[in-house]
Amino acid sequence: MAQAVAIVGTGQTECGKRSDVSYPELVHEAVTRAFEDAGIGPEDIDAVVAGSMPPAMEGVNNPHLYLAGAMGAYGKPLMRTATCGSTGISLAHTGFYHVASGMFDTVLVVGAEKMNEGDPQGTMATVADPFFQRPFLAGAPGIFSLQSNEWAHRYGIEEKRVRMAAAEISVRNHNDALRNPYAHIRIRTTIEDVLTARIIAYPVRLLDVCPASDGACAVIMASQEKAGKLGRNQAWIKGVGYCGEQAFFGEGDKVVWKSAINAAKSAYDQAGISNPLKQLDVAEVYNPFTFQEMLFYECFGFCDFGKGCELVEQGVVMPGGELPCDPSGGVLCTNPIGATGLQRVAEVVLQVTGRAGDRQVPGAKTGLAHAMGGLDQFNGIMIISNEL
Amino acid sequence: MSPRVAIVDFVQTEHGGHLHENVQELTFGVVRKLMDRVGIDRSEIGTMISSSADYWQGISCSNSYYYDSAGGNLKSGSKVGEDSVFTVIYGMMRILSGHYRTALLVAVTKCSECPSEHTLSNLCADPFFHRPVGINGVAVAGLQARQYLERHSPPTHAAAQVVVKNRSNAAKNPYAHVRSTVTVDEVLSSPTVAAPLRKLDVPVTSDGACALLLAEEGTARDLCDDPVFIEGVGWNVDRSLVGDRDLRRGSLHKASAMAYGKAGIRDPGKEIDVAEISETSSYHEILWSEGLGLCGPGEGWRLATEGLSSLEGTLPINPSGGLFGANPQVARGLVRVGEAYLQVLGEAGDHQVPNVRKALAHSVHGLGGQSHSVVILGH
Repeated sequence: MAQAVAIVGTGQTECGKRSDVSYPELVHEAVTRAFEDAGIGPEDIDAVVAGSMPPAMEGVNNPHLYLAGAMGAYGKPLMRTATCGSTGISLAHTGFYHVASGMFDTVLVVGAEKMNEGDPQGTMATVADPFFQRPFLAGAPGIFSLQSNEWAHRYGIEEKRVRMAAAEISVRNHNDALRNPYAHIRIRTTIEDVLTARIIAYPVRLLDVCPASDGACAVIMASQEKAGKLGRNQAWIKGVGYCGEQAFFGEGDKVVWKSAINAAKSAYDQAGISNPLKQLDVAEVYNPFTFQEMLFYECFGFCDFGKGCELVEQGVVMPGGELPCDPSGGVLCTNPIGATGLQRVAEVVLQVTGRAGDRQVPGAKTGLAHAMGGLDQFNGIMIISNEL
Repeated sequence: MSPRVAIVDFVQTEHGGHLHENVQELTFGVVRKLMDRVGIDRSEIGTMISSSADYWQGISCSNSYYYDSAGGNLKSGSKVGEDSVFTVIYGMMRILSGHYRTALLVAVTKCSECPSEHTLSNLCADPFFHRPVGINGVAVAGLQARQYLERHSPPTHAAAQVVVKNRSNAAKNPYAHVRSTVTVDEVLSSPTVAAPLRKLDVPVTSDGACALLLAEEGTARDLCDDPVFIEGVGWNVDRSLVGDRDLRRGSLHKASAMAYGKAGIRDPGKEIDVAEISETSSYHEILWSEGLGLCGPGEGWRLATEGLSSLEGTLPINPSGGLFGANPQVARGLVRVGEAYLQVLGEAGDHQVPNVRKALAHSVHGLGGQSHSVVILGH
């Protein structure tokens, strides 16, 4: 059976255009903070897991090997995991299995991206199949715009209503990001600003889209025995779920989205969650595009299909609601892709251990971390609780 | 008593310099064949772990492109880079956790569709200090070979003997890409590429894919008559800057010590019956043999010159032909594990080594072997 796995430390960098540091320095910043948080040092680490988006993002082949020193990995087992946008959550899963398998006691997990040194859209444009899909699917916004339109049409949700709900999500995330010292976009926005921002790919407007960020995140995982010895700030991984689907956009249903539904179901089953809205206290939903966040509410069982807008309108997913989502400001305000999914994990750890500062959801005990990647293709979930 | 993880079956492509199938077709082909051979359908696949590399596929998020063709549709999975031996290690972890009974491992590389290895390995170098001087995989291999020559003074034909042996073995391997033999003179008279390395001291690159099915012991016994067990795994990473490292020793001894510790191996030179080593150059087979403790420091060259590492020797190395037979950059590691599996099973065909009880598979990535991985298989 799987060994219990604790998260005993997290470290995040301030994100944004980090021209003040090199890529290794950026990673070192996150790793050092994770060590400080856990109260241990590199000598206590048995193995390291690292990852990022396509290495072309920064122009370094084998980036994990280039960054090995910055992570204190020299002379240790180091494994790279990379699954596109879901890399961060896949990294967390890889770290989890390092410990759950019984092979290691203490594992350092690092995700990083320095997007401002490369051409993020250029890199992402080559995710799509080169022959049939790339000519019309280049870049991320196009895909997610198609998906949000498919969703609104499927359920006959009035355009004005979708736009308004998306705008509220945008304003909520931007307000929350102001309370997160690590967030990249730190501006105050209004509904009016979002509704009138310039169109990127209809219906997605500028304030519906995430930025390209530089940032890194590190998480330290430990076995129950090791965590017991450290004896501070423990969060426990209660469930992991991941699911991938077809390479060709258009072959799968992106509204009743099986990879998202399956990933959540696996994680819920392991964590004993049957009513996520009641049993979860906080959710860090991967939301690079406002519209997509509502689709995830439905796939994760926060509400019925076609009812995502209602959760926004009724304030359920807003601060003070029954299930506040993305109190960190989410991916919408900070997206160093290889780190992003791991930031969701780190933020949920901070929430359930009561250390999220100004963005703390009062009394949060159990939370959901999520990331999505590929060509609208991969979804990964981790359920984290402050109780074993 | 911890549960054991076994290999149920292994399938590889007939590797080539320019295969006509695309990446999706290659992965589909090996996975379809594997499932047909084992006699299962996709419902019996627990999780799919693949390995490929974006630079070596010319596509960002390389696994997005073949996730479904590799059998992963609507399944849990992940991708490990940039050495496919990590699929074995991660697949094993997932099974040991109790979450999955089987793990499908898939690796693919089409070097023919990429820029040259020299270009892509130059991108591995530190961008500020090392890349501008043009350092790349073969240049670092040349530095390592030079250090070895200076330190241990092997005869000039020793490394060439490795090439001759592996090319001769590859000629017996129907899946190998390069199946022509060479002589010591041909190796030594081929043009210099990075002194002292000559053109024939360095394997060419290949296209290829492979798939391997892992299962926990009980499931493995249901699925096949003769499961081969993973007895130990080890991996380790060295310093990033080439000049900061001991280029002869590296971190391989740490990776192998970890694997041997798990497998209970004390004297690898005696206990290992056959080794499949990722010899990224002729000298690397010598260096890696020493790093793996298959012989003492400075003695690696003797394995080839004295015939010990030949197919008929006491410790055959790369009976499949190794990378000189086929070198699909990322997939080659899993091919080594697959070949080691076939040796333990006794089904390696014309390049079978008699009476194999324990086999070793090794893989490497990064400049000059910055990262090594080792797998020990046995009955």
